[in-house]
Amino acid sequence: MLVWSRPGRMLIWAVFALLFGVLFLAPLAVILLSSLAEQWNGVLPSGLTIEHYSNVVRGAAWNAVNASLITGFLASALALVSGTWAALALRVQDATLARVLGVLFFIPSAVPSVSVGLGLLVAFSHPPLLLNGTIAIVMVAHFVLISAFTFGNVSAGLARLSPDFEQVASSLGARPAYRLWHVTLPLLAPYLVAAFGLSFALSMGELGATVMVYPPGWVTLPVSIFSLTDRGDVFAGAALTMVLVAVTLVLLLGLERVAGRQTRS
Amino acid sequence: MAEAAVLPASPALRRVPGRFWIVPPAALLALLFFYPLVLIVQQAFLDDSGMANVAEFARVLHARFFLNALLNTITISVAATAGCLIVGLVLGLILAFVPFPGSGVIARLIDTFIALPTFLVTLAFTFLYGSAGMLNAGLMEVFSLRAPPVDFLYSTWGVVLAEVTVYSPFVLRPLLAAFSLVDRGQIEAASVLGARPFRIVRQVILPAAVPALIAGGSLCLLLTVNEFGIVLFIGAKGVITLPLLIYSKAIQESAYQVACIIAVINIALSLGLFGLYRFAAGRMGM
Amino acid sequence: MSVPAFTGSNVMDVDAAKIRGAGSNVHFDKVSVAYGAHVVLHPLTLDIAPGEILAMIGPSGSGKTTALRAVAGFVRPASGRIRIGATDVTDLPPYERGLGMVVQNYALFPHMRVEDNVAFGLRAQGADKALIGERVKDSLATVGMSGFSKRYPRELSGGQQQRVAIARALAVRPRVLLLDEPLSALDAQIRRNMVEEIAKLHRDLPGLTILYVTHDQTEALTLADKIAIMRDGRVSSHGPTAELYRRPPNRFTAEFLGRANLLPVTVAEGAAGPKGLATAKLGDAVLAGVARGEKPGDKTLLCIRPQHLSLTGDEEHTNRIVGTLREVHWQGELTHLVLDVDGTPVRVSATRLPVSLPERGSAMPLFFTPGDTSLVPEDVRG
Repeated sequence: MLVWSRPGRMLIWAVFALLFGVLFLAPLAVILLSSLAEQWNGVLPSGLTIEHYSNVVRGAAWNAVNASLITGFLASALALVSGTWAALALRVQDATLARVLGVLFFIPSAVPSVSVGLGLLVAFSHPPLLLNGTIAIVMVAHFVLISAFTFGNVSAGLARLSPDFEQVASSLGARPAYRLWHVTLPLLAPYLVAAFGLSFALSMGELGATVMVYPPGWVTLPVSIFSLTDRGDVFAGAALTMVLVAVTLVLLLGLERVAGRQTRS
Repeated sequence: MAEAAVLPASPALRRVPGRFWIVPPAALLALLFFYPLVLIVQQAFLDDSGMANVAEFARVLHARFFLNALLNTITISVAATAGCLIVGLVLGLILAFVPFPGSGVIARLIDTFIALPTFLVTLAFTFLYGSAGMLNAGLMEVFSLRAPPVDFLYSTWGVVLAEVTVYSPFVLRPLLAAFSLVDRGQIEAASVLGARPFRIVRQVILPAAVPALIAGGSLCLLLTVNEFGIVLFIGAKGVITLPLLIYSKAIQESAYQVACIIAVINIALSLGLFGLYRFAAGRMGM
Repeated sequence: MSVPAFTGSNVMDVDAAKIRGAGSNVHFDKVSVAYGAHVVLHPLTLDIAPGEILAMIGPSGSGKTTALRAVAGFVRPASGRIRIGATDVTDLPPYERGLGMVVQNYALFPHMRVEDNVAFGLRAQGADKALIGERVKDSLATVGMSGFSKRYPRELSGGQQQRVAIARALAVRPRVLLLDEPLSALDAQIRRNMVEEIAKLHRDLPGLTILYVTHDQTEALTLADKIAIMRDGRVSSHGPTAELYRRPPNRFTAEFLGRANLLPVTVAEGAAGPKGLATAKLGDAVLAGVARGEKPGDKTLLCIRPQHLSLTGDEEHTNRIVGTLREVHWQGELTHLVLDVDGTPVRVSATRLPVSLPERGSAMPLFFTPGDTSLVPEDVRG
């Protein structure tokens, strides 16, 4: 406690409430409100409706939800495997090589997503690697962009794992594969779950690379929201944004609970 | 078990450590990320006939649209980062040192903003501060105005405000981690000795927070330079940044070589900032 | 079959042999370990006999843990060979060495119940179910943890976790048990109990060869048959525990094992008589001490333990020195005195004090038996 006087604390909390309200609370609240708005010409909407949400479960909007979920799931699963694999394999390299490779695995997170999309268009528009125009190129773009995050999360988990566990397992006669499966991966599980949740969330919200590469018929939620608002259909866009927020939060919080349970047991 | 003779270990038992396991994920990354990256660079410096040609590169470098976008990108990035540092620091100080019931939940809530799509905030800002938004509608009603009085959203400042909202959690996160390591006893001792809060913040807390501020700040610089969704959603004519320029050259004008040239510069800028971030984060021990 | 203890069906036979006392010896043959140019273990040659407890003690960075990790297979020697029993294990991976290991922080697998932790090694080696069940039961009984098999590690106290860690190591019937600072994470009281438990464990399993690494000399003195004192990557001294304590071969050993008063003396006359006593001069006082081949005129140290110094003389306590009383610390069972003898601080642990103790700063005689002393050469560093 830094401020001891009551009025001082009240003043400070008021500043906090203002900042938090304007920056974080108001945007979420207003999106929620507009997703329920019939018409909005004054300070507040003139009426409320759930029509925008009922539209979500059919037609283009529903396809967008599906496309995002499938893309997010596949890209995150692949990123989880590849990131975990890379983080584990890096441990047996020489220190210098491990450092260099570690930086290389992080670099996709530092490059603007639009450039990642551009690169994929340039590289994979000709046979034999013709991905442009397929759903696969969207998956690949998402995979590249989130792989650094899974790699980072799993590496952080590995760094915190005491080497004692694996060494004791080896000394008791566990071969590397047995040790990996029965000791290392279970101990890493909370980090794996968290990494998967974060990648999924990032994939759900990805826009920059997706607008560069998406084929007709595979419009993800963010792209769909952009075209709705660009056309002026802001309320439908707000409803889809709320769906996106809800799915993301459910995923993150749900997976966090799973991860929490695993650490506790 | 006979202990008479020493059994030599057969050479087959000399294990080759699993060094080659790194090859599959590294190859995947090389194919899907570094190979396209190399092609971008190649396209930027080769003309259609495959000859090395820096003329086009030089032309783009001097073009007004490029210089404008570069200037915009840097202005927005620096301003937004400064804003993130201030907001993050204020929020962090209060959450860590003047906590209130529920401040832990609030801290986690702000943290989840990291996972939400960036354009959400822009969309919300249109409803709040847009020409027909709540603020303008309210002001027009109260003061019987004809035209919307608040008009910052479709400018650089609209983008900056949106980016501050989206990226201040990236400053807050390392700050809270750093603050949790500050010795509470030190603060109490300073209070007992009669130090005022501002003095304690300046002399005890801020020095401990500097590495976190540098790390968080350099991450913000990187992310704001790369930001695309916010700028696209605001869609203001005058506010074009490098990522947006890449998008419009490639997708709307199909000018791939120009897009690649701009991408090369944008990537170089990003990688420089990434290096800065790694250095700062390394210093902080993150 | 290079590692018989771990190959399927004859696990049982080896098991029986172990219990009856046919343990394996460990042999270090000029084993050195280096990280680049930095040598952490200079060529080490050392033998641990079957069924012996060898304690390696020394300050941190002395190479003791490195030696243990070389046996375990976690560090690769730069040169030399390591044998366990008849097998040269230098090139074997850790999981083929047939060891059990217990580490400072127990490293119980947090996601497994106690019984699964104990069963881990046997399962990893593919032992059959019936054997695993039996071994888990036995091992937990040995460490007195039978009632805890369904618990998770986090539901156990530190001492209980350490017992489970020992049971886990014993369940594979290791040829050698490696204990790496096993008690240093425990509270002082629990640590004393655990030292006694490990001593009892070794009485029950006399065939078990144990390499015990610690920085705590009390643990080493209590448990070890032999002690190796490590310093700067080398063995400073190695020998039977009591022998090392009574006749430390160098100053470092004398000071590291228990407390020692080391008085700088000049040898007057070489060893004579059946007790091998030499006489040496400390200022004007002439003292007799157990010699190790000194010649007249040698400068050396006379080592006398604090508890062997007496405040009163008799026919046995024939050595007499006079010091100035500096400090008196009463600690209940013992009183610690510190005197100044010709500029050397001398500590005395006395169980009984004379009725009246002289004032601080006044002169006071001390007496000791020649047989309780030993002449110790000053260390030559470098």
